[in-house]
Amino acid sequence: MAELRRRGLVTAVIYSGPFLKLGKAQARTFGVPDLPLLEITHPLGGISLDGVKARAEQAAPQFAELVRGHIK
Amino acid sequence: MSDLNVLMKAPGAGFEAEDDFEQINALYLEKGWSDGLPIVPPTAERVERMLVYCDRPWDEQIGLVAPRYGVATPLRLAANAVMAGCRPEYFPVVMLAIEALCEEKFNLYSVNATTHPCTTLIIVNGPVAKELKMNSGHNAFGPGNQANATIGRAVRLAMLNIGGAIPGAGDMATFGSPAKFTFCAAENEDASPWEPLHVELGYARDVSAVTVFGAEGQHNMNDHESVTGVGLLKMMAGVVATTGANDLYHDGGPALIFGPEHAATIAKDGYSKADVKKYIFEHGRVPLGKLSDENIERRIRQWPVFKKEFMEAGPDRLIPVMKSPDNAYIIVLGGAGKHSAYIPTFGATQPVTRALKRRDGQFARSVEDFRKK
Repeated sequence: MAELRRRGLVTAVIYSGPFLKLGKAQARTFGVPDLPLLEITHPLGGISLDGVKARAEQAAPQFAELVRGHIK
Repeated sequence: MSDLNVLMKAPGAGFEAEDDFEQINALYLEKGWSDGLPIVPPTAERVERMLVYCDRPWDEQIGLVAPRYGVATPLRLAANAVMAGCRPEYFPVVMLAIEALCEEKFNLYSVNATTHPCTTLIIVNGPVAKELKMNSGHNAFGPGNQANATIGRAVRLAMLNIGGAIPGAGDMATFGSPAKFTFCAAENEDASPWEPLHVELGYARDVSAVTVFGAEGQHNMNDHESVTGVGLLKMMAGVVATTGANDLYHDGGPALIFGPEHAATIAKDGYSKADVKKYIFEHGRVPLGKLSDENIERRIRQWPVFKKEFMEAGPDRLIPVMKSPDNAYIIVLGGAGKHSAYIPTFGATQPVTRALKRRDGQFARSVEDFRKK
């Protein structure tokens, strides 16, 4: 992901709440401290398929916004 | 480079502090540089004494410690070994364990960052275990032995301070494990009816080695009644055949710890290590119906490790916990008593064995081989 970011592609990591610190630390470790982190409601594991779809619905507009920001 | 005066001039290499045990410990706790227990302050003098047992340049890269991928050097490791309470002669084993943990197939990133409670189990084989007076007998996984306690602790402190395996940030364990403070012992080679682990893996008996596992704490296997090998193995296969352990879902390498008395009963009936592994592989299986419908659908039928083998399987179909007999690692350890132990792993990790070698590549016969003349 960090490599894709460095190549200039629109990239993001989706995380659920408790994993924000890990995501930020890993972004710094791999030299892309500005890597966008998109939050979804925790948890992702152990939920129904409807719950998974709801998480996708949270993430999708955030990613669309990110892509729009890169369209010149 | 092995000049401490020069190395200490690097930014962040050290700091000045009052020579006050309580104040230094309070500072280390505040900064998050400790495992929560008191540490021995890593003064320049103590770190230099630790490095007497190091035959490499003190700034050489030993490995990259995940999840921060911090560079482990002898100097940094020595500071953590001092903090843990290691005697200097333990240091070659601490460095060897770190080297093993940093091998790619161990998957240290996931072992450290996961929500699973796995930790790093270190098993020491060969003459160095006796030389360091390691405990391989009664209570070998428990308290009371300086080498067992502090080698494991030094590795944990290195993962915190070099690797950034910080609870809630780089170590997301849901609740962790007391085995994360230290989990290190020697195999009881003298009490084993079988070849020691490192000999089984191809090394000579007089070579010393460490084997590291991304392991849970142990689950005891009590059997005071069985008098035959097959009786004991039947009980053990039942323990292995458990739901919820990661090895069921992955292609991992769990450890089977045999108490010497159980090992003797099994070996007396003609079972080699290979026979034991075959038995556990064939009988340590979980019926599909023991899992929830969702687990079967989402994991067992779809997970790549199962290669779609269970797509049409019914509830009585057995899933092997170990995906091949050789996945099991057999170690004889402990004192008197009718107990053995099963140590499941993180699953997505492979045990790594490394032999103790001098810088010139020759096998070390003693930790004294590393001592500066």
